Amino acid sequence: MGTFEFLLQGVTIAAQPMNLLYALIGVTLGTAVGVLPGIGPALTVALLLPVTYKLDPAGSLIMFAGIYYGGMYGGSTTSILLNTPGESASVVTALEGNKMARAGRGGPALATAAIGSFVAGLIATLCLAFIAPFVVKFALSFGPREYFALMVLAFVTVSAAFGDSTLRGLTALFIGLGLAVIGIDQQTGQARLSFGIPDLLDGIEVTTLAVAMFAIGETLYVASQGDRIPDKVEAVKGSVWMSAQDWARSWKPWLRGTFIGFPIGAMPAGGADIASFLSYSTEKQFSSHKDEFGKGAIEGVAGPEAANNASAAGTLVPLLSLGLPTTATAAIMLAGFQQYGLQPGPLLFATNPQLVWGLIASLLIANFMLLVLNLPLIGLWVKLLTIPKPWLYAGILLFATLGTIGANPSVFELGMLLAFGLLGFAMRIFGYPIAPVVVGLILGPMAEQQLRRALAISQGDVSALFLSPIAAVLFVLAILAVVVPLILRARGKGEVLSQFAANED
Amino acid sequence: MSGIPSNERRRPDRAALVIAPVLFAIAALIWWDAGRLAEMSNYSRIGPATVPHVVAIGLALLAVWTGFEAWRGDFPEREPIEVKPVVFIVAGLAGQMLLLKTAGFSIATGALFALTAFGFGRRKLWISLPIGIAFSFVVYIIFGRFLQLSLPAGPLEHLFF
Amino acid sequence: MRAKPRLTEDTLLKHFFLASLIAGAMALPALAADYTIIAPAGPGGGWDQTARSLQTVLQDEKISGSVQVVNVPGAGGTIGLAQFASQNSGNPNALIVGGYVMVGAILTNQSPVTLNDVTPIARLTGEYEAIVVPAASPIQTMDDLVTALKADPGAVSWAGGSAGGTDHITAGLIAKAAGVDPTKINYVAYSGGGEALAAILGNQVTAGISGYGEFEAQVKAGTLRLIAISSAERVDGIDAPTIKEGGLDVVVENWRMVAAAPGLSAEQVTAINADIEKAANSDAWKDILKTKGWQNTYLAGDAFKEQLGKDIAATESILKDIGLVK
Repeated sequence: MGTFEFLLQGVTIAAQPMNLLYALIGVTLGTAVGVLPGIGPALTVALLLPVTYKLDPAGSLIMFAGIYYGGMYGGSTTSILLNTPGESASVVTALEGNKMARAGRGGPALATAAIGSFVAGLIATLCLAFIAPFVVKFALSFGPREYFALMVLAFVTVSAAFGDSTLRGLTALFIGLGLAVIGIDQQTGQARLSFGIPDLLDGIEVTTLAVAMFAIGETLYVASQGDRIPDKVEAVKGSVWMSAQDWARSWKPWLRGTFIGFPIGAMPAGGADIASFLSYSTEKQFSSHKDEFGKGAIEGVAGPEAANNASAAGTLVPLLSLGLPTTATAAIMLAGFQQYGLQPGPLLFATNPQLVWGLIASLLIANFMLLVLNLPLIGLWVKLLTIPKPWLYAGILLFATLGTIGANPSVFELGMLLAFGLLGFAMRIFGYPIAPVVVGLILGPMAEQQLRRALAISQGDVSALFLSPIAAVLFVLAILAVVVPLILRARGKGEVLSQFAANED
Repeated sequence: MSGIPSNERRRPDRAALVIAPVLFAIAALIWWDAGRLAEMSNYSRIGPATVPHVVAIGLALLAVWTGFEAWRGDFPEREPIEVKPVVFIVAGLAGQMLLLKTAGFSIATGALFALTAFGFGRRKLWISLPIGIAFSFVVYIIFGRFLQLSLPAGPLEHLFF
Repeated sequence: MRAKPRLTEDTLLKHFFLASLIAGAMALPALAADYTIIAPAGPGGGWDQTARSLQTVLQDEKISGSVQVVNVPGAGGTIGLAQFASQNSGNPNALIVGGYVMVGAILTNQSPVTLNDVTPIARLTGEYEAIVVPAASPIQTMDDLVTALKADPGAVSWAGGSAGGTDHITAGLIAKAAGVDPTKINYVAYSGGGEALAAILGNQVTAGISGYGEFEAQVKAGTLRLIAISSAERVDGIDAPTIKEGGLDVVVENWRMVAAAPGLSAEQVTAINADIEKAANSDAWKDILKTKGWQNTYLAGDAFKEQLGKDIAATESILKDIGLVK
């Protein structure tokens, strides 16, 4: 009861001119810092949080929401235009988005990402406002065995990102899984593949790997191609805006991405990266333009970007209703909330409704500001591509290393950045896809730990893995994901697929 | 030395053939490392070595498959690559890494900036190096000073702060 | 279209604009640093917060002109510790924040640098371990949990932080005190208290063990039952008996401390001690403790060193019993 009034009241406060200005400043700062390659949303929020402390609670909450959304969105801009994702959730965006940008369709790619983020953010924030308690119940019913089943599903569908060769896709995935083994084993505390080097005990940082493989690998590859790649890319072919066909192909992925992203973001062990992987493979399944995947399919940008943003709102469900920070960004947000006198926990909605609804209203306003700011800027962003290569790539490397140095100023970390950059370069030369390496590093440890936890709780009884209804459904989905394409192929519909496999980029 | 007789166009891809033993070596390394882990009593029956063993087996199988495909010449054709620009950029990254603690963020990153531009054909170091250092210094002021990121300071930074 | 130089200037201009924007938002004084505090963890965590709070107090109380915090994350703080000890010998301006987690990490990671290689100054704050069960659990008291543990240790699953950490150590100590083989406990490690909390709330495990702060909101809301706390005596504002009251001699405090560099003269150590004491007794520090919900467990000098020695010995013995240290 009163939910709607509370929200209305919150929106009224947030929509005051002064607060709108704070939202605009927040979104601008968040986008400006988040857009730098190598600096993901977690670092952006951590860096800019102190800026908000000087304002009154309402103003600082609104500016904070703006920074959060701005940082989330900023990362996808450079992923699309420069193929340099700064964090795991934009890795998939880069797959199709960068191909579009290279074909002069960077404008529509950025637009579908911005509008998709807005639509997803809007729906997910409303879901957060109205159905958070139910979502929390569902999310808590996920134990280790359900998560393990979800990981199996993610592994099965990840082949959508394999590109044109199963061998090279699988090899890339297994290299990622091998890197994932490095570090202290959480269940037994033993060091694996660390060779007595203390810096390796915490494992390979996903951000370091993603930045190295994409930003540095890409730079080295472009440099090695000499004059074959023109000094400047033709930034815009056709329109900067989305055509009617782009709209027709985008709206369903936006909605699907939202409904994949929100619940997965709400799960304590979910996260935006898994949501974006699942959305990408879903879009590949549903698309009527399967042949375009890997070459710049707009669905492959629209879906994951929506899923990414929806899961960011989903993360707030356990954070606000349980006080559970489930991602690095959420952990930093928790620290921020405490500054505003907000103590997230099960009683928050009851004891502090003004602040909670104020925050939700701020998110809505910030989401809207993001669109207002970014749509007109798209024309400017695509101009990034017209910066001469020497300066553009020098700048990319500057910021890529800045992100790594800022998170961990150690020579060893920079050494890893260089080593993985060379690996990414070598893999590009031989036509290996890059994304599966990052996917393996993210999913590998999750799948392993959840399986071992599930079996520890059941005391080694394997059958218990399948006895939960949710886990069973997820396993069935995983089996279907393998079997259905096989049946389709047998019925002759696989021609497109095999033809696609034979082609090269 | 011709490849599969039935397909005269395809020959063994020697560079790609090197990948197979590399993958196999990684698999062997993972297998060996997993072998020295203590299997502690636990209830899950899956110990710390189980997953590394699975990954090692997978990589070994992929090594065989890679060798087979490389022999048949099934890897995509590669464009010839230019090594020189890559060497300059790698030198820039290595230089930044080694200079960072002594010379500080701005000078080390400025060197990276200039060497990258050099790799891409901007040979005028007396222009690009000052630009790189100045640009890095601005970045240092924004991120190191105002946003409190711990970026290593060197002589240039100490001159001002 | 040849407009290269102009475009470069444009980008530069954009960044200068960003610089002035941020500069306007937060005008910070830039003075020479008096103290440099190493936080051996990434930004945002407990040690980082302790270091930054200490920074604020030292500056605001005019104890030190300007203080810098440097993050050196990794391997339970042992990387930061090793770097601190090797680079700052004899430097009276260098401080490092650390804690009980380091004691365990030094042992399990076989770190060549130990707490004997630095000069411990004072314990600043600490948190006690809490043992909780889901509200719907049939287990009502610590006695019930111990009975279940004795009957079948495998059937009692404990959710807590990483293997070998404070939570695992406490669970091991409880089993040992109850006469159960500590290697037989079914400890399920999670990446942190938050993720473990979700598993306990979802009824996935029998019991949960972590710092009280992780569970506080849930305990107050009645969704978790707090059955014991690891302090020596009951704590104000926490409505639970101690583990000791239940007849098991287990006291664990997850403390945080500040230490100085090795190789300092007696006068230098006295000076640092005086600065830290002044900071810890200030109202500003007490306010921070209150807003962050940290216990004030300030302990300095020889008393702290003695306590530290005891903690290290007890931790080493239990880690050997669990089988994590040989």
